[in-house]
Amino acid sequence: MNADEARESLAFSEYARKRARDDMGRPWLALVLLASLSVVSLSLTDAATSPTALFWVFAGPLGAGAIALYAYRRNRSSGIESSPLAYVAITLGLLILAYTAGKIGFAFQVPAAARFGPAFVAAAGYFALAWIERSWMVATISFALLAVTVVIIGFDLSSQQSKALVFGLYGITLLAVGFSLRVARKPVL
Amino acid sequence: MTHPSSALDDTIHQRVRLGILAVLSESRRADFGYLQDVLEVTAGNLSQHLAILEDAGHVQITKAFEDKRSRTWVTVTRKGRAALATEVATMHALLDGIGSGQRP
Repeated sequence: MNADEARESLAFSEYARKRARDDMGRPWLALVLLASLSVVSLSLTDAATSPTALFWVFAGPLGAGAIALYAYRRNRSSGIESSPLAYVAITLGLLILAYTAGKIGFAFQVPAAARFGPAFVAAAGYFALAWIERSWMVATISFALLAVTVVIIGFDLSSQQSKALVFGLYGITLLAVGFSLRVARKPVL
Repeated sequence: MTHPSSALDDTIHQRVRLGILAVLSESRRADFGYLQDVLEVTAGNLSQHLAILEDAGHVQITKAFEDKRSRTWVTVTRKGRAALATEVATMHALLDGIGSGQRP
């Protein structure tokens, strides 16, 4: 094999790899679902100790189930299968950690942990999603959200103000990115 | 001391077979039609390459009957995944060697 053939083979295998990744779909649904669930989680942070926290008992399995169903249908139609387990594991892990952070914050009387813990956990979840999708865009957004949370803590705002800020920024940004990924996949007619 | 090219695997040391393993290494499995589309090869050509990879233990082929039609799924084995990683690393090493050898 000469150098040109080696370069050509490597370029072709890289093309095939990228095409497979693209065809397995962008993380739009997982992102939108994770965003929606974590936004609701953030709004319920202070209620993590109340019966309304039962929300997760239903939202967690439903979210994970929807992602798994989406992955299954996508796989069947495209002819290439990715494992839905990573999405499901991330969704469930994220929900459990977010809920636990709220609980620990309340148990140890650390209001900041209860208020911002789930936000940090959500950002970590998006990092994990970025890793499995090899998406620099998702990773960058996750980092930005993490930084925003730290800045909001620094401002020492009231509980309601900080909650509203985190709620709005996480929700709007991630839902917008999720839907834009979805739109980007649609062919222009 | 052996030359780095001796580490190249003749079985996957071919453009289409390298492409097959590259696609499969990114996924859980892919069907025959998908591979044909991505790699832009004829069905007969793809069958031949898959048979070679299957004989070498790099891929596993499963035929299933779904929605009243037959479907052929291809999965990369652990051996195939490792062989692909070695092959790509070897080719990079060879190209790096050629590149550094050209320097004054």
